[in-house]
Amino acid sequence: MIVGHLLRRGLNRWIVLSLAVILAIGIAVPALNLLLPVTHPLHVPTYIVALFGKYLCYALLALSLDLVWGYVGILSLGHGAFFALGGYAMGMYLMRQIGPRGVYGDPVLPDFMVFLNWQELPWFWYGFDRFWFAALMVMVVPGLLAFIFGWFAFRSRVTGVYLSIITQAMTYALMLAFFRNNMGFGGNNGLTDFKDILGYSVQAGETRAALFFASAAALALGVLFVSALGASRYGKLMIAVRDAEARTRFIGYRPEYVKLFAFVAAAVMAGIAGALYVPQVGIINPGEFAPANSIEIVVWTAVGGRGTIIGPIIGAILVNAGKSWLTGFAPEFWLFALGGLFVAVTLFLPKGIVGTAIDGWDGLRRMRDGKRRERGEDAPLTGPQPEAAE
Amino acid sequence: MVFIRTIIAIFLLVFTALLALPAGAQEDDSALRQAISGLGAEKGYSKLRQAIDVVVETGDPRGARVLDALAEGDVYRREGDGAVFIVSGRGKERNLIDPVTSEQVGTIAKSELKKVRVNNSVRRTVRDAIGALTLGAKDPDIRLSAVRTMIDNPDPDSLDVIATALEREGDDDVRTALEQARAAAILLSDAAVPDKVAAIETIREMGGQEALSLLVRARNAAGAEMRDATEAAIASVQKRLQYWSLGQNVWYGLSLGSVLLLAAIGLAITFGVMGVINMAHGEMVMLGAYTTFMVQEIMRTSFPGMLDWSLPIALPLAFLVAGSVGFAMERGVIRLLYGRPLETLLATWGISLILQQTVRTIFGPTNREVSNPSYMSGAFQLGELSITWNRLWIVVFALVVFAVLLYAMNRTSLGLKMRAVTQNRRMAAAMGIRTPWVDALTFALGSGIAGIAGVALSQIDNVSPNLGQGYIIDSFMVVVFGGVGNLWGTLIGAFSLGIANKFLEPFAGAVLGKILVLVFIILFIQKRPRGLFALKGRAVEA
Amino acid sequence: MNDMAMIEERPLAAKAPQHAALTEREVQESRRKETILYLDGVSVSFDGFRAINNLSFLLGKGEMRAIIGPNGAGKTTMMDIVTGKTRPDEGEVFFNGTVDLTKHDEPAIATMGIGRKFQKPTVFEGHTVEDNLALALAGSRSILAAIFHRRDAEEEARIAEILDTIRLTHLRDASAANLSHGQKQWLEIGMLLAQDPKVLLVDEPVAGMTDAETEETARLLRDIARDHSVVVVEHDMGFVRDLGVKVTCLHEGSVLSEGSIDNVSSDPKVVEVYLGR
Repeated sequence: MIVGHLLRRGLNRWIVLSLAVILAIGIAVPALNLLLPVTHPLHVPTYIVALFGKYLCYALLALSLDLVWGYVGILSLGHGAFFALGGYAMGMYLMRQIGPRGVYGDPVLPDFMVFLNWQELPWFWYGFDRFWFAALMVMVVPGLLAFIFGWFAFRSRVTGVYLSIITQAMTYALMLAFFRNNMGFGGNNGLTDFKDILGYSVQAGETRAALFFASAAALALGVLFVSALGASRYGKLMIAVRDAEARTRFIGYRPEYVKLFAFVAAAVMAGIAGALYVPQVGIINPGEFAPANSIEIVVWTAVGGRGTIIGPIIGAILVNAGKSWLTGFAPEFWLFALGGLFVAVTLFLPKGIVGTAIDGWDGLRRMRDGKRRERGEDAPLTGPQPEAAE
Repeated sequence: MVFIRTIIAIFLLVFTALLALPAGAQEDDSALRQAISGLGAEKGYSKLRQAIDVVVETGDPRGARVLDALAEGDVYRREGDGAVFIVSGRGKERNLIDPVTSEQVGTIAKSELKKVRVNNSVRRTVRDAIGALTLGAKDPDIRLSAVRTMIDNPDPDSLDVIATALEREGDDDVRTALEQARAAAILLSDAAVPDKVAAIETIREMGGQEALSLLVRARNAAGAEMRDATEAAIASVQKRLQYWSLGQNVWYGLSLGSVLLLAAIGLAITFGVMGVINMAHGEMVMLGAYTTFMVQEIMRTSFPGMLDWSLPIALPLAFLVAGSVGFAMERGVIRLLYGRPLETLLATWGISLILQQTVRTIFGPTNREVSNPSYMSGAFQLGELSITWNRLWIVVFALVVFAVLLYAMNRTSLGLKMRAVTQNRRMAAAMGIRTPWVDALTFALGSGIAGIAGVALSQIDNVSPNLGQGYIIDSFMVVVFGGVGNLWGTLIGAFSLGIANKFLEPFAGAVLGKILVLVFIILFIQKRPRGLFALKGRAVEA
Repeated sequence: MNDMAMIEERPLAAKAPQHAALTEREVQESRRKETILYLDGVSVSFDGFRAINNLSFLLGKGEMRAIIGPNGAGKTTMMDIVTGKTRPDEGEVFFNGTVDLTKHDEPAIATMGIGRKFQKPTVFEGHTVEDNLALALAGSRSILAAIFHRRDAEEEARIAEILDTIRLTHLRDASAANLSHGQKQWLEIGMLLAQDPKVLLVDEPVAGMTDAETEETARLLRDIARDHSVVVVEHDMGFVRDLGVKVTCLHEGSVLSEGSIDNVSSDPKVVEVYLGR
């Protein structure tokens, strides 16, 4: 009977639905790829599995950005850095798994280190031969960076565009750093030529299927996490900080911690997305740190609708599908399209596809409520208040 | 610009005059001819060396040319009469060139020529001889460069020549150099210790890399009694070199700072004054650079003689091109997004992608060649500093742009209106200022300045569609570091970041230095979120 | 109060005056203990402009005080100082007689029990009226507590009670963005109440309200003042008269006049700088 409740109940229904869709895709796509013969009309080609697996990782990445941008209002222009760090952590594990099968056949050192005449493994590569350690680092490294960065930034009350600009500077600095050969991460070429993951060949169809499902499952978990967080009091606090930061401070909250938690959580999510992305595309290089990449994540989220849960997922998939399609036949048009998309979304669709749809839904409800109110069934929602002067 | 042109004109005049001088000399040349003919005498290398000495004794600098040709193996004897010529050309017919006047006097069959052969010892003699001969040249610059050659290649045997030259030398600079050359030669000779100590002192005073290498050579050769003095002199020279390298770093820093200033100063207007985040700012710089390229293209094809004027012509054009693109952006997009800074950031990023791709489609993705006009190329020496003209002009240009902008903001009516609108939009509107118009003009001004920055940057950077990308983050860093809304802050910010960068480079390398600067700024912003020269007070927080 | 600063400047080594000073200081301290807010010799300047100039201000426990004064008199800056937004250049600021407020920041001061309503109503427009109050409810402010928070019956009751006090029960589930200006003011006051503070600082609560709303707000504030200390900044003299409390008039960052509304409004200095003839 009341808009807020309906909206929330409606959204929850949407979330359950989207969870079901994500998991169904996660099972169906690899199954149709593996189980059906190539000639079957419903067979999903392997390249589609790889492509969609990539989209799922992007969707998780966009969702993580939405957590900080849509909910807390922090426009991070360096979110790709967390994705790339997660990817590098996974890449380091995959490099260690190559073992003596590298071009130079060194049992311990990755090829690029042999090429650079390094005699022993740098200390920060220790432990990455074990999956559990790498998996931990996938979350710890981006999380720690986000924590340190956010700790300084939020406590000093760096907000708005200033924060956006320094997050961009952060990823730019990391890009420059990772391009250096003596950083020990493969320099320009990054990490590639992976062979095995957990003992299975990364090229094998079954491994790809498993990675695809893992991406879908991670995305589903991400959706659950964000929606649960959004429904909690903390979720309301995030919105409160976004809309009126000073007010939260004057009623006793510390907005810097609210932001810090969301920032770190989003960084960890982005790291996981990066870790799932790398074995599916087979390479991670410093280009992933490029500021342009980070800002592209922003447009996915904006197109889908920030501050919603399925918006960024839809945005990431739509924009990337558009990119794959357009670069297929007219690559020079892609940047025009992307640039135009930025302008068009900010000018004409500031709430994104899903946000606008929810508004439309809301409007319909309100109209119905309004009619009901005219019949005297409910108290007025807005306008002058008749009860004020008793 | 008139001032600059005048300086360039004077510079060019002096330079051509220098080249013209030696050719104008016309005097009695029989003594020189006599001496040169001795080179043709067929009596082996030692006799040839003596003949060279005879040429030197004439003291005629024109003899240097034939000696130079001798070392190159271009001097021949005519079989018929034994006359000596410089010979050029290949094949059976060769050109005969008079060794004194350097004029072509005819051709001759190869079979009638006999080459004057030289070996390394002769070549060494020739080198010294040329040095000694040019010491007698009329033009002090030629003498000076001859002496410099002697300093670089000290030889105890040349002491006599130096002594003679010193006796008749009138030019102070050349005298000083000669004394240095003598000191350098003494160090390698078997002169007495007090002489050598005095020589060390002279070399120490000379300073520079050559002094250092001379002293190191001397130390290796010197006996025990000389060691301490040499070591002390080396230390002293090294210390002075360190100061120079400090100066060099400061200069590089100023140079980088001026580039940063140029790139950031337009942003200081659009971001600092208007509060608009223009991520397409770098593309405005790029448009300016491409305008320069277009101007040069047109000049190359239509007015090749005017290429030196391409930059002064490109400046207003670049301002107009970038300014009108900025104007269109403001009217078309940014106007609709005031009060939504994050959306402005995204929309302008989109525009930057479109501009980049447009330029890439029109001009191609590769670097385009923008040439340096004559007054922008080359370098000059200031003590131990080597300063290139283009860097120097860019520093000057950046400061001029800054001064003009400062004047425009503080002394002109548009500047007054801009400041009024940024401080209190509604009040300004109420006073009859057309605020939308002022917004558009302010944005166009900021963009136009980015355009003229592009003209300057086209001289030192690759002109490609990605040109702007490289500057956008640095520019924002400069504005944010210097303090938003403060042109002086931008100036200080640009130069301090430039110098900091160049001082870090020797220790950390270029990339790591840049990273360190970025990290420093990130930390700095968190300490002082409003930059170095922040406006204080409650108006800021509101 | 100015002589207190003098006392502290005296060297401790001088014995006789120290004895006299101690008793004087004890008097000062006992006076301070009785206050809920205690400002003494406070000055702050922005870029050379002295917003607050040697201001001294006492608020007794349970007292309601109205502050009037022309624009730029330092009313809002004084609230900024009390709530920790602005640090004073000099002077003492004590809460409850013992807590030095200059050593704490906004959230800490807010949790101690000083609530503040802004001049421009600021509520969380993305939330419903109920959620606005729920966020403001007294309780743990930690992030973990917020994540795992479950609302209990006690909180429900408290919210219902506040909704009733601020007369917004019928708008419980409405989005705060859709409230009228006056309703936003009330919601903000409601959020203050939800915090359960000891002192409420209320900045221009009736700006932009209709006469009926103004009257209602005065009644609401009087209700609140029964068990809270309240400082109200307001320009509306009719409203101030309605409150019927002691009035302080600020001018150029210090107290110009203090007393009952009749005394203050007839003070020639106040008439000169503020009320006009």
